[in-house]
Amino acid sequence: MKISTNVRRIALFFLSMVLSLGFAIAQERTITGTVTAEGEGSVPGVNILIKGTMTGVITDVNGAYSIKVPGDATILVFSSVGYVSQEVTVGSQAVVDVVLATDVVSLQEVVVTGYTTQRKRDITGAIGVVESDKLKAIPTGNVSNQLQGRSSGVTVTGSGQPGQNSKVRIRGFASFQDNNPLYIVDGVPTQDISSLNPNDVESLSVLKDAGAASVYGSRASNGVIIVTTKSGGKGIKVNYDMYTGTQYAGKGPENLLDAQEYANLQWLVYANDGTSETHPLYGPSSNASPTLPSWAANTNWYDVITHNAPMQNHDISLSGGNDKARFFAGLGYFNQEGIVITNYSKRYTGRFNSEWTFLNDRVKVGENLTVSYRESNGVSNQEEGSPIQSGPYRSQSIIPYVITEEIAGTARTFVPGEYGGTGIAPRLGNGGNTYAGLIRGADDTHHNIHFIGSTYVDVQLLKGLNFRSTFGGTWDDGYNVDYTYATYENAENTATPSLSEYAYWGSDWVWTNQLTLNKTFGQHRIVAIAGYEAVKYGVGRNMTAGRAGYYTNALDFRTLNNGATIQTATSEAYTPTTLVSMFGKADYSFLDKYLLSATVRRDGSSRFGADQRYGVFPSFSAGWRVSGEPFFSSIGWISDLKVRGSYGTMGNQLAVSPDNQFFLYGGAANQSNYDLNGTGTSSLQGFRPTRIGNPDAKWETNVTTNIGFEAQLWNNKLGIVFDYYTKNTEDLLYDPELPGTAGAASPPYVNIASMKNNGVDVEISFKNTWGDLGVNASATLTSYHNEITKIADGITFFDYGDSRIGSNSRNMVGQPISAFYGYQVEGLFQSQTEIDAAPIQDGAEPGFFRYANLDQTENADGDQEIGPSDRTFTGNPNPKFTYGFNLGFTYKSWDLTTFIYGSYGNDILNFNSWWIDFWPSFQGQKSQELLYDSWTPDRTGTDVPKASNHSTFSNNTVWNSYYVEDGSFLRMKNLTLGYTLPESLLGKVGVKSLRVYLQGVNLFTITKYSGLDPEIGSQYTGSTNDRNFGVDYGNYPSVRQFLIGLNLGL
Amino acid sequence: MKRNHSILILILAVLGIVGACKSDFLEVNPKGSLGEAVLANEVGINNLLIGAYSMLDGVSASFGWEAASTNWVYGDIRGMTGNKGTDAGDQPDINPIQTFSETATNPYLNVKWRSVYEAVSRCNSAIMVTAQALANGSITSEQADLFVKQARALRGWYHFEAWRMWEQIPYVDETTDQATLTNTEDVRSKIIADLTEGTNLPTDMDQVGRFNKTVSQVLLAKAMMQMNHDYAGALTLLNQAKTGTKPNGDAIGLAATYGEVFDIVNRNGIESVYTVQYSVNDGSGGTNAGAGEVLNFPYKSGGSPGGCCGFFQGTQEMVNSFRTVGGLPLLDNTYNNLAVKNDQGLLPSDPYTPDAGELDPRLDWTIGRRGIPFWDWGRHTGSDWNRDQSYSGPFNAKKQVYKKSQEGQYTEVGSWTSGYTANGYRMIRYADILLLIAECQIETNLLDDARTNINLVRARAANPAGFVKLEDGTTPAANYVIAEYAATGYPFDSQANARLALYMERKLELAMEGHRWFDLNRWGITQTELSRVLAYEKTVPWGSSMYGTATVGAEDKTFPIPQRQIDLSNGNLQQNR
Repeated sequence: MKISTNVRRIALFFLSMVLSLGFAIAQERTITGTVTAEGEGSVPGVNILIKGTMTGVITDVNGAYSIKVPGDATILVFSSVGYVSQEVTVGSQAVVDVVLATDVVSLQEVVVTGYTTQRKRDITGAIGVVESDKLKAIPTGNVSNQLQGRSSGVTVTGSGQPGQNSKVRIRGFASFQDNNPLYIVDGVPTQDISSLNPNDVESLSVLKDAGAASVYGSRASNGVIIVTTKSGGKGIKVNYDMYTGTQYAGKGPENLLDAQEYANLQWLVYANDGTSETHPLYGPSSNASPTLPSWAANTNWYDVITHNAPMQNHDISLSGGNDKARFFAGLGYFNQEGIVITNYSKRYTGRFNSEWTFLNDRVKVGENLTVSYRESNGVSNQEEGSPIQSGPYRSQSIIPYVITEEIAGTARTFVPGEYGGTGIAPRLGNGGNTYAGLIRGADDTHHNIHFIGSTYVDVQLLKGLNFRSTFGGTWDDGYNVDYTYATYENAENTATPSLSEYAYWGSDWVWTNQLTLNKTFGQHRIVAIAGYEAVKYGVGRNMTAGRAGYYTNALDFRTLNNGATIQTATSEAYTPTTLVSMFGKADYSFLDKYLLSATVRRDGSSRFGADQRYGVFPSFSAGWRVSGEPFFSSIGWISDLKVRGSYGTMGNQLAVSPDNQFFLYGGAANQSNYDLNGTGTSSLQGFRPTRIGNPDAKWETNVTTNIGFEAQLWNNKLGIVFDYYTKNTEDLLYDPELPGTAGAASPPYVNIASMKNNGVDVEISFKNTWGDLGVNASATLTSYHNEITKIADGITFFDYGDSRIGSNSRNMVGQPISAFYGYQVEGLFQSQTEIDAAPIQDGAEPGFFRYANLDQTENADGDQEIGPSDRTFTGNPNPKFTYGFNLGFTYKSWDLTTFIYGSYGNDILNFNSWWIDFWPSFQGQKSQELLYDSWTPDRTGTDVPKASNHSTFSNNTVWNSYYVEDGSFLRMKNLTLGYTLPESLLGKVGVKSLRVYLQGVNLFTITKYSGLDPEIGSQYTGSTNDRNFGVDYGNYPSVRQFLIGLNLGL
Repeated sequence: MKRNHSILILILAVLGIVGACKSDFLEVNPKGSLGEAVLANEVGINNLLIGAYSMLDGVSASFGWEAASTNWVYGDIRGMTGNKGTDAGDQPDINPIQTFSETATNPYLNVKWRSVYEAVSRCNSAIMVTAQALANGSITSEQADLFVKQARALRGWYHFEAWRMWEQIPYVDETTDQATLTNTEDVRSKIIADLTEGTNLPTDMDQVGRFNKTVSQVLLAKAMMQMNHDYAGALTLLNQAKTGTKPNGDAIGLAATYGEVFDIVNRNGIESVYTVQYSVNDGSGGTNAGAGEVLNFPYKSGGSPGGCCGFFQGTQEMVNSFRTVGGLPLLDNTYNNLAVKNDQGLLPSDPYTPDAGELDPRLDWTIGRRGIPFWDWGRHTGSDWNRDQSYSGPFNAKKQVYKKSQEGQYTEVGSWTSGYTANGYRMIRYADILLLIAECQIETNLLDDARTNINLVRARAANPAGFVKLEDGTTPAANYVIAEYAATGYPFDSQANARLALYMERKLELAMEGHRWFDLNRWGITQTELSRVLAYEKTVPWGSSMYGTATVGAEDKTFPIPQRQIDLSNGNLQQNR
């Protein structure tokens, strides 16, 4: 009730405004008329505006209008969403009838939604639409990366590694386990769209609320993204698009020590700790300053492992059609090298879409197919040992990456041409030579071929009633070969080379049958669908085999049979999931003003036991075109205003393993085999309980409400879409950790937890022309507030995010997902006196962290003590909001566009600080802060702790607020300047259109974050869960790129 | 219009029927796993039992070195025969364990807990499925009996392992309801009952990796001594065990020389009463090999065994205690006044001569030190065998380390380290039995018998064939002098003095084998003895970096129950201190 009251107030406000305007106009006469549309009859709700004023009216139910105009010169502007605007000079006419042309140019008018398309003006759910040209503004091979900042409500985070999927989240989080949205590519559901060529994509529809998405029922709770690929139009068209450019690695971290500085730091540590020894490299600590060994290098590891990397993309497409058939065929080639040497991703795609029409247009048969072949050599990211982490953040500068003069190492003599490493001498740390590792891995290859496609038949049974049957699926097949060299240069070497091969295939299919009713009865318009769907997904197997002991590293010798010793020979059969569903949806509109929509879906899933197998997911939504009401008739500057709301439920079953309902046993050599016979070199098979089953698990249910409005102002120049939503997950499937006494079998998922999200999505768009200058701007704002409301009975939290010093995120009731948890640093202890007066704190020393005493409890001796209960939430990786600005200008043949993306209010946990800001965090690289800004008795005004070899609770062994930084940033993602050659010139050579452009990517970033890149990818590659994110473990950065490209049409 | 509706209804009906017919479409069986029903037979149960045995090393793909049953962290580092070693920042969670300041949130403790109880749950699975198989007639009651006795002996041992870490532990059997499980009852009798079942097994179990009567007797005796101080009862069992056999029926006894005991080829030699079996290159990627000790190798790149990671170094105090005068150890702890020389602070290129004083020869099988040959790896070259000598001191662990000639044969190949070895943990060796017997004899005032048993151990150590030799194969690497205790006089002149001899003998004979802290707890001297050792160890050059301001408290004879487990127990588990 509150809502409608508010709406009434707003309407009255507008009304009074307009009335006051109305008094200002004099010398008027009345014009009447009727507005119709081609083939549709009268059009109600059309805005009629007196040009140059704010005065206007709106057509009534019969398309009729009446307006007072000031004189003959008056120009009336007729506009309505979905139709081409028309201007008429009234002259001496008293009756002005207008026939509006349907606006077929703008794709926005028809939106692809669940199982159907809808006129945009009729939509009552929260749907974001992103067109192909906006996606393509970012040069990357991956559609998910391009979605960033393009649709409100969608949060996208990714790294700079070629070929890597970004993490896409719609409206916060619904699950602990799997928050990936469901993608529907031409009717085929999939979890992975990385094989798609962005150039083949016509549009993306993001279904955000239950009103839009719950027709997908049990898989919709993370939102649904519908991908529609291109199809042919009339006439033959050939297009060729290409770009090529370079990614600039940049300088890397600039706060790392050179070889002499590192030695100086050792001397500072000696002084701070009062240690004396003869350093194996730098001489006796009693010397005034360290001396470097003769072999000392000064390696910049970031420079060594990165390079300026080329990328290029070519797409050629051929499309065409006539009344009976149309087709679209495209071939794509994308090749991106990473800024990390040897890292690359290549993709070849083919797209074949076609449709034929028979029997007087009553039967349509068509197919959509993408074939992609990918080849890559990826590197690990966001984990220890990944190149960005192990190179710059872990390798001392003194180590030569390649030996240039003979070095008498500790156990061997290094000769020129060999790799240098931590094995040259003691105290160089324990990492590997990252450069050597990359070069040796350059021949590793990962191949993948992926098909995604569907075929359909659409029969018009009666006028307005169609039956459509779609069968589609995916096929995925891949093979990886990875060879590991023996090493000699490291402190910790691999003694024997080994080869690992990994092969896999996977497949899904879906069969959908649906009836669609599309009827208009007078002022009633109804679109209804009823359907039945069967899905089987997750079919497949994989196999891993490995052998060690290779006589030679020669590339041609690398087959499994040439290895001396079997290491692994395992395979895995995936338990597939089946779904059967019935669904119905009805959209009803009356007078084009009153919109109602309802959907219901009943899903059955093999993931649940027989008693809990079926779930029903309904939704209701309604819209009211306020601007179509009579009291709105004279508010000319509002071209269109629609308020809408929805309520419904969606489900999720991805959180639960297909095996969840079963009690299972199994054996794996590394889990339960034992050498009963004492051979020392073989073991007997053993079994163990592997899974505790829960036949009672049922669907996660997501209850979503959405309230929003869409407005078009000033003759559609300015558009606003605003949504407020709440999204609560109930019966959230969670696998509560079992007490250790229950054993280590996988615990079952139970419907126990809950979570809630709310937030605001805003999209604003503006377009106008001033003479030759055209402006097209849009902004999106995405915000969500996530809160865990229950985890399990008696359990209020679980920790996540492994590291050398324990987990850094705590998922706790009352907190957002993945919040950072640790000790709160109050400052540094300045003196022993301060320590003595402070609560007892293990390892306390002047210059070390002083933690806040939050619990105030006393230990057994009656003393205040800093302990685990003093920990608190130190940061939140969830942004307060993210935003995107898109600005486009056209002037004559020139076009200029820029896209700016930003995130505000998120924290980053900078784990790289642990490696470089603390001396005892391994003998790797250290920071200039540690040398120049750290606490000493003479340098007390600092927050960087003392350089000391004491690895304690008060120094580097626990997570605390020192590592938390503000992760807000604003980044110019794209700046493109294009020039379209004049048609007069092109026509002579038979070219229809030609545009050339220059593009800069990631030109600047404004941030306070001290690490390489504030855009932090997920820790676990391919991870679907969000229990730990926003932690910089050495993230592969997104870097500056410059490209040149052209679009050619024939 | 009517016709339209009927078509619609017709099509919907057809779709509905299609849906209804396909209900079995939703029945999908799990792939790649076994259901309980297929295991209820002889092979299935035996495989479950193998799964229970496989947790004897504490380690699996799910549990790492934190849970190693060699207890190098809890038995030796906590017991101050070893220190964490390596450099300051690696595995920092061990630091508070060795400085007696660990909290209930220490992750090591949680892994150890979960590992032990996973082992228990595997025993219970075997027992439950045995009952099913017996009921369905697929095994005989004799077969069932053998299975259940092994499973119960294992279950008793695993609980005992938990008990000696935490004392106030929950007891889990096949009937336990997890929802009401507590740790407030005294579970000792249940542990005793389980281990007693194992003593009814035959001595010959055909395979060396199973538990048999003898093994079960020793484990039961250890539990009776540790938990109940029941020395008389234990003595009876141990005396029987002494004449028992290995699980495969082979004889047991003292090996002729001390050092050979730790050679991988002798892992199931005569000295081994029960060895936790490790296997390399068996397809487990090293997990079934010595994964629990994989960090504990010297650190010289390419020139020392292993490849990683320099953990588990000896304390100076432990090394000093190998000092002998007249071939006998200094039971009054004055050995610290005759500290064993080390090369702390020297570069490998600096000249160095090892200690020339009298030493127990077992020292150089226990630790590596500069100038002394280290298996067949050549002489230990000093600070370059250590990752950061200034932090951790100069001594390396040796008993678990493989020979150079065994690399690739008894070590995992193709892994990131060669430190996965087949050198199975000598969980019970014959010398341990003799010393346990001697301990029971002292506690029951059979001092002469105790001296005889201790002397058997010393006599074996004194066999010059077993001294570490220089490259010529004949010259002892150091001045080894060791003698037996005289038939009369100190220390076997009183029970109190005899205890000192026994305590010292266990320290010397079993150093770095995971027993020390548990022994101290049994003897009730944890706080006094470790305070004494700590006071000394803080005085060595690396002492402050290792121990800082550590002190030993009365509560340090147990570890706190992992906080995570208390949190997960819904309030049923109580903290033990």
